[in-house]
Amino acid sequence: MRVPLSWLRDYVDVELTPEQLAERLTLLGMEVKGIERFGSDWQNVVVGELLSVERHPRADRLSLTRVTIGEGEPLDIVCGATNIAVGQRVPVALPGAVLPGDRRIERTEKMGVVSNGMLCSGDELRLTSDADGILILRPDAPVGSALADLYGDVVLDVDVKPNRGDALSIVGLAREVAAATGAVIRWPETDPDESGLPVENRLSVDVRDSLWCPRFVGRWIDGVSVGPSPDRIQMRLQAAGMRPISNVVDASNYVMLELGKPIHIFDASAVADGRIVVRRAVTGERLETLDHVVRDLDPETLLIADERGPLGIAGVMGGASSEVGERTTEVIVESAIFDPVAIRRTGQRYALRSEASLRFEKGQEVRLARIGADRTARLIAEWAGGHVATGRVDSAPDEPGPGEVAFRPSRVNRLLGTAFSPDEQRDLLARVGIDTRVAPVDTSIVVSNGTQPLAVPAAGADVLLAVVPTWRRDIAIEADITEEIARVRGYEHVPSTVPATPMPEFRADPLQVRDAVRETLVGAGLTESVTHALISAAQEERFRWDVDAAAVDGEERAEGRPITVTNPLSSDHAVLRQSLLHGLLSTVATNVRRGRVDIAVFEVGKGYARRSDDTAAEWWRLGIALEGAFETAAWNRPRRLADVADLVGIIAAVAQRLGLARPETVSLVDEPLLHPGRATTVVARDSDTGRIAIAGRLGELHPAVLAELDVRTERILVAEVAIRGLAGGSVPVVRSVPPPRYPAVERDIAVVADRALAADRIDATIRDAAGTLLTEATLFDVYRGAPLDVDEQSLAFRLVFQAADRTLVEDEVDAAVATVVARLVSDLGVRIRS
Amino acid sequence: MDLAQLTQDLEDLRADAVAGVDGAADVATLEALELDVLGRKGRLTSVLRGIGALPVEDRPRVGAVANAVRQAVESAIAERGTVLRAGALEARLRSEAIDVTMPGRPIRRGTLHPSIEAMSEIAAIFAQFGFVVYESPEVEDDLTNFQKLNIPPDHPARDLWDTLYVDIPGLLLRTHTSPGQIRVMESTKPPIRALLPGRCFRYEAVDASHGFEFFQVEGLMIDEGVTLGDLRGLLDQFAHAMFGAGKKTRFRPGYYPFTEPSVAFDVECLVCGGPGCAACGRSGWMTILGAGMVHPVVLQYGGLDPERYQGFAFGMGPERIKMLRHGITDLRLFLENDLRFLEQFR
Repeated sequence: MRVPLSWLRDYVDVELTPEQLAERLTLLGMEVKGIERFGSDWQNVVVGELLSVERHPRADRLSLTRVTIGEGEPLDIVCGATNIAVGQRVPVALPGAVLPGDRRIERTEKMGVVSNGMLCSGDELRLTSDADGILILRPDAPVGSALADLYGDVVLDVDVKPNRGDALSIVGLAREVAAATGAVIRWPETDPDESGLPVENRLSVDVRDSLWCPRFVGRWIDGVSVGPSPDRIQMRLQAAGMRPISNVVDASNYVMLELGKPIHIFDASAVADGRIVVRRAVTGERLETLDHVVRDLDPETLLIADERGPLGIAGVMGGASSEVGERTTEVIVESAIFDPVAIRRTGQRYALRSEASLRFEKGQEVRLARIGADRTARLIAEWAGGHVATGRVDSAPDEPGPGEVAFRPSRVNRLLGTAFSPDEQRDLLARVGIDTRVAPVDTSIVVSNGTQPLAVPAAGADVLLAVVPTWRRDIAIEADITEEIARVRGYEHVPSTVPATPMPEFRADPLQVRDAVRETLVGAGLTESVTHALISAAQEERFRWDVDAAAVDGEERAEGRPITVTNPLSSDHAVLRQSLLHGLLSTVATNVRRGRVDIAVFEVGKGYARRSDDTAAEWWRLGIALEGAFETAAWNRPRRLADVADLVGIIAAVAQRLGLARPETVSLVDEPLLHPGRATTVVARDSDTGRIAIAGRLGELHPAVLAELDVRTERILVAEVAIRGLAGGSVPVVRSVPPPRYPAVERDIAVVADRALAADRIDATIRDAAGTLLTEATLFDVYRGAPLDVDEQSLAFRLVFQAADRTLVEDEVDAAVATVVARLVSDLGVRIRS
Repeated sequence: MDLAQLTQDLEDLRADAVAGVDGAADVATLEALELDVLGRKGRLTSVLRGIGALPVEDRPRVGAVANAVRQAVESAIAERGTVLRAGALEARLRSEAIDVTMPGRPIRRGTLHPSIEAMSEIAAIFAQFGFVVYESPEVEDDLTNFQKLNIPPDHPARDLWDTLYVDIPGLLLRTHTSPGQIRVMESTKPPIRALLPGRCFRYEAVDASHGFEFFQVEGLMIDEGVTLGDLRGLLDQFAHAMFGAGKKTRFRPGYYPFTEPSVAFDVECLVCGGPGCAACGRSGWMTILGAGMVHPVVLQYGGLDPERYQGFAFGMGPERIKMLRHGITDLRLFLENDLRFLEQFR
């Protein structure tokens, strides 16, 4: 809400600087978001007086003027307007002036005559909407003074919260100022001079839906002459952010801003017999609204109509047929109360929301229907002439009185942690117009007002009744009164205390596993990324795994149909992802495009899907993407490209961190997203129970998939795994054993095998055959080349034997190795290189 | 062989050995020499073999001379050895010198994402006050995201949360972490001190300070005597922990349908420190979070008796906290994942 201070001062005295006022309002809950100096964009614009006005010798439509600005020689200025005359005072933009919109004024030549500046229209200054004529200033405007000093204003931008519809007006904010400063409110004069016939002769209203239109007040004015509003009014509306239209229409907008009461004005000649009907639309009805869009109306729409058909959508937008125009002479003022929910839904259905509908949605004080009608009629008669018909039509003239809310001053203090005395609380409430009195003994206190209201009996004498003004529709329960007391006193008077209530029971941190995984990956050199959960439908489908990996205890399965946003911001972000792949690949792509190489990123994030029972499932996964080198080059080290073994090593590190057995990998040839020769499923189990704790897949992105991406790189490696505890779990506690006291014995064996034989089969056979003395078996070298066959390779394993209770003797180690060799040869058909 | 001859041989051996020792150029030569002269099959032993031919009474005299020769050679070797080893060490050190000003071998270190890190930092501060972490769904139902938070359908306050709806009836993408309040109250009993970090979604055009995906951290504390003053005290502690012990704070009215009274909490502008600048909209203050006393209606929906229990809730944006603290001016950086940005938080 834009509040010009000059306007605010009509209703309340303000003896504070704008900055001080802004702070006071902010501390009262009416946050001032900005202070704008209206007119600060008129640089070098001063008041001048026209000394002469003559026709331009070579252009009929231009005038030559001489203007004095007080000091110095009078200025010759060429002007295109026709409304000027000698003796008038006008705004003069001097050479070097800057006008709104950063328009610069220089000395120019127009049709052979030099113009030393420009006379300004109201529109050029954004003061009025008149673009044709020069703005004629009042005769006492001091010649030579800066225009900003005369017409400038300070405008506060106040963020009025949705519960305070009453403060969405200048008068409403004046009330808040009064509460803050103790000043007195001056209510504007509202009674019109009723010089016309009785209104009943001209106007009638038939409200057929009093649920959606609890009150309709109408006034009739005839003999109006539509034209521009007084400059002073136009300037106010401009400063408040509303474009002036005509004296009649401006009157309605003025009242909306002043009182917070939306008003609609009809050209009475367009309303059949002056008989207005308020009813719901019927299917098939159409209306051309003021924005000249013809709309099909639905039965959930409340209409203002006459017997011929719709005139306007109640509370949202008027119709074009009854719009006030230049030739309008008779008008009907509509000042009604509509159901907030009906207006809100209608505005949303038609995608039509206006300053008026926003105010209706927040609910209106019933009394304002009458006051708004009167005030509008008065202003129309003042600005546009005419005769206001005597009396008003009013569908429901009874006005509800103030509500009462019981509260316990002790409870107020209990909630706030304060010690405000009952008298002090009453004084504070009085400042916002809330009277208080002692409540009768049988009063019950409304503690909660939801769908199951809770009222408690007043046990004891400590109960007061707050008499809440009709405009404060937000105050209904004790807690509302509590806030009001704190707000008026100032939150800075609430003491800053440390809670003295009992601590809750211990609860394990559900993020423990997630954090352990994240820290392990950062330690391994990867950078954490956070990518969009919302991606495009195509991306979601392209980067979803065909089949979920093995199930992990306690973690949701990645399965179900994708969840689609029904009102997406853009098609790029319309579907919830099921895998982290797309986000990670985008991260790689973005960075490669920006010139980065050697990227290693991960994300611990969620996938989402719709289950067959129409619930939503969410699951946590770890995703990884590697591009370029995993070991970057240095002056003393070559660049080493990332490969599948890096991913396996990273997953192994995670498994280690979580106390799991070494991950098992099984070649994965049929995952369409991955390179069939460079992909694997990966599973890590509990070493004792054998239950799966990590499951997923990893590998090189399929070259065909990579080609679809706009990334200039040879290869990208990706992984996505489920990990037990990612959704909320603890890192298992390690069981410690003392380090062995007896020496270990190492033996190396080189296994010559067909290249197609998977290394982990050799590894598994070694572990299986070696017996209990084997503590480690590590592949430490791979050799290909002469004297081996081209299809062969030699895999060198280092076997470590150790016993916890003795030093091993050569014979038993030899025997174990011999068993291993025999098994390798018999089971796998390999040979052993000596 | 007579005594004189043998003695002369020993003296010759000494002279020759000492000369050899003095002439040895390195430790290896010296060691070879030592073996040659003093070893078990060395020249001294060989000379002494002649001792058996001497009369018994002469033998001690030869023994004495032989010992003297041995000692003389040994000490010469030791002396020469010290000199040679020192020289060799010096030569090795000289030859092994490197240019230590060359850059270190790079160690690859990753970084944690600043959004997640901010949530961890916030959680760590509140953990000091007994707050424990809970989580709640991101695909939430309208009931929990709005209605149980005292925001009925068609309430004008819904405009504060432009919502993304999904194709499952009744569900939406949570617009804030506040529905977690309801879920915590439903799942546990007071005393409650809960912290709820997580991802949120809004129908919001992207600019330097808005996004349609962002994170929030919700706090909830409920018991019989938790006051607005306690909220203020706790937030003061938080602001001091997060932004610096001396920072001024401001506690002022705000508005949320699910709190009454509602609070906006400001910290003095971290750029100008008070007088007002472009960063703080010339107010001298930066709003860091919203809060308030949990509305009785919300307590009821959470299954708690509002006449008995009361407490507060607060919610903040970890990215905003991070932006204020590190002078980041564009929210979009957090989801862009430009490594040049992320790697600044090492």
